[in-house]
Amino acid sequence: MSEFTPVPTDPGPVRLEGGRPSKGIGARIYGRIARIKGPILWLIVILWSLPTFGLLASSFRSRDAQRASGWWNIFTGLNHTTLDNYRTVLNSKGTASLTDSLLNSFAIAIPATIIPIAMASFAAYAFAWIDFRGRKWLFILTVSLLAIPLQIALIPLLQLFVSGAHLSLPFIHKTITLIPDFNLAGTTTAVWLTHAGFALPFAIFLLHNYISGLPKDLFEAARIDGADHFTIFWRLVLPLSVPVLAAFAIFQFMWTWNDYLVANTMVGSNPDAVPTTIRIANLAGDFGRNEFLLPSAAFVQAFVPILVFFILQRYFVRGLLAGSVKG
Amino acid sequence: MRSPLVKFAAVCTVLALTAAACGSDKKSSTAGSTGTTVKATAGSTGGSTTATGGAAKDFGGAKVLITGPERDDPSAGAINAVLQTWGKTRGLDITYAGDADWEANINTQVQGGNPPDIGIFPQPGKLAEFARAKSIKPLADNVTASIKKFWSPDYSNYANVDGVQYGVPVKTDLKSLVWYQPDKFKAKGYKVPTTFDEFTALVKKMAADGGPKPLCVGIESGTATGWPFTDWTEEMVLRQDGGDVYNQWVEHKISFNDPKIVKAMDTVLGLWSKDNVFASGGNIAATNFGDNAQALFDGKCYMHRQASFFSGFFPKGTKFADGSAGAVDVFYFPDINGDKPVLTAGTYAAGFNDKAATMAVLEYMSTADYAQKRQAEQTKLLNGGLSGFLSAAIGQDPSVYQPLEQGFLKILSESKLSRFDGSDQMPAAVGAGTFWTLGTSAVNGDLTAQKAADQIEASWPK
Repeated sequence: MSEFTPVPTDPGPVRLEGGRPSKGIGARIYGRIARIKGPILWLIVILWSLPTFGLLASSFRSRDAQRASGWWNIFTGLNHTTLDNYRTVLNSKGTASLTDSLLNSFAIAIPATIIPIAMASFAAYAFAWIDFRGRKWLFILTVSLLAIPLQIALIPLLQLFVSGAHLSLPFIHKTITLIPDFNLAGTTTAVWLTHAGFALPFAIFLLHNYISGLPKDLFEAARIDGADHFTIFWRLVLPLSVPVLAAFAIFQFMWTWNDYLVANTMVGSNPDAVPTTIRIANLAGDFGRNEFLLPSAAFVQAFVPILVFFILQRYFVRGLLAGSVKG
Repeated sequence: MRSPLVKFAAVCTVLALTAAACGSDKKSSTAGSTGTTVKATAGSTGGSTTATGGAAKDFGGAKVLITGPERDDPSAGAINAVLQTWGKTRGLDITYAGDADWEANINTQVQGGNPPDIGIFPQPGKLAEFARAKSIKPLADNVTASIKKFWSPDYSNYANVDGVQYGVPVKTDLKSLVWYQPDKFKAKGYKVPTTFDEFTALVKKMAADGGPKPLCVGIESGTATGWPFTDWTEEMVLRQDGGDVYNQWVEHKISFNDPKIVKAMDTVLGLWSKDNVFASGGNIAATNFGDNAQALFDGKCYMHRQASFFSGFFPKGTKFADGSAGAVDVFYFPDINGDKPVLTAGTYAAGFNDKAATMAVLEYMSTADYAQKRQAEQTKLLNGGLSGFLSAAIGQDPSVYQPLEQGFLKILSESKLSRFDGSDQMPAAVGAGTFWTLGTSAVNGDLTAQKAADQIEASWPK
């Protein structure tokens, strides 16, 4: 693999810094935006993060304090702060506990992230570099599935999970079971299966565009060296695709972790399988009596995606470097 | 090139293993439990022909799942505790799960073929809808007999659809209450009003005296903003025109913009004038109805008309009806014609299947024993605080209720005219729609009562 001569990579169009007067409305707007002063940007940053900060401040205030005054009062009376809200929410024995539902959220988000990545990277490689019959039409079909909104398929899918799919033939009175009843209704499995399925079109589309853009010479060289498709995929394509895999993993994990609709439909009334999002929605209680727990619960829920983002961020940067420096 | 790949693969493997562990754990437990459900159901349906009587019978671990909109710690916890204790004596494994969006989710679950065994309906209108669509089953004879024994028709009739009983009343909210602090009244020499004229005179006097405002009003409640206004309007219709007009109004036999209804709305808006009302959020529509408990407690207003569950909103440690300084008490929202009308609300349990186990649980939920055990449990969970729960079931031991709550029960039993919250019975497009939104516009002064009523009438489903 280290035998072939380095291929000069295309540097791409080079931006001319102030070389010629910028023309066109796009360039002008871009110029304006680029010249916005730092302090103004900081002001916008502060305005945008103020509500989140208020939520964070509220999460440390007691119920009566939250009801009596706004979060900014935290500055005047730091002695009124308390960790009780977090204790209530994280106490594994209490009825307002999030701990079980956090495990459920992991049980949903992890398979729903790994499975589409694994399947889509294989599929994207095949679409990009294996020349089989009907390849283009199959790809068009896959990508056009992007246009199908997940919402319209929810109830049919639920029916499928509840009772399977059966085809009754007229006249001969025979029922063929196409998909048996796996008894998946009300389980986390039903949720991640749905997420995994609906993530595939976008995952294939995204990964295909990246993988098909890898330099062709690399593949030719690998073939000459005697690599088969699996070796090329495993030793060449996957390492080069780490940045896009990480990007997709971040998106997919956040989407499934924060999902309410799919989980709500598929888990239904089974209290043992609800993820954190549904648990938090129920936390406020009748007439919002326990609303004071919501800020702390929201931060417990948000902590995990932030963690995932920062962990995968490392692969983002390293992957980019690994792609540019040939190993 | 190799090391990042190895690391990435390692991370993937670890994550995948974790996922598999979590996944398989959940799945196996669910699979196991569904297995028992099937077995137990088979057993219990087989035995149902022989033992439909009240004799204690063992269901061999049958699972019964109940869902409903009540999801508070004390409520959901108390329902679970009481039903599970009772279920153990019958070999039933009962679970209650609260759901914030129950009214919407139950539709999806029924369509998807995945409803719970029992649902607790907060609105009789919704229950009737489900009954007519045959999604819920008529109650077995032993359940209806038990309802007859423990509930006055005033309450059970709302779950009777076209002559068939579908729902079991399980909870009663009393709405015709005014919360106040007796020592504040005493300090100023105000007297608790016993007629509506006395009430309006007292409001006028308090406003003229300056200082705290007579009333606290807030109608903000998220997507349900406006419901306290509908409650006030219903109270006024009931007081000014009596129960028959009220029924005609709810059933749309008289139009929504009938002069009587408009007059009731005008009376409410008149009472809610700027001089009379304190609203912590600046104006009535921007003030959460629950925030007013703090305002009343802080002495920013004298009175607050709100239902029995309102006790839960007062700051921790508030004393109720014990004569101490700062204690909070209630008086009956006074009437006009001497018929002591009360506005109530409540929940009804109905079965999505007619398995013997489901019907046995429904039968138990209709009893006074269930109501008083739930009350006792809920009080215990709140460390002796006011539970917010109330039941009009006949034959409860009143000592499980605290003095203030016993007062609620007294008001309920003394009333000769009891009506269920009208907006909960109207079609959802009005009762949970335009009555709230256009009512809010009227409160804001964007519409007159007449115009709001006209537009609500126009929005009534044909």
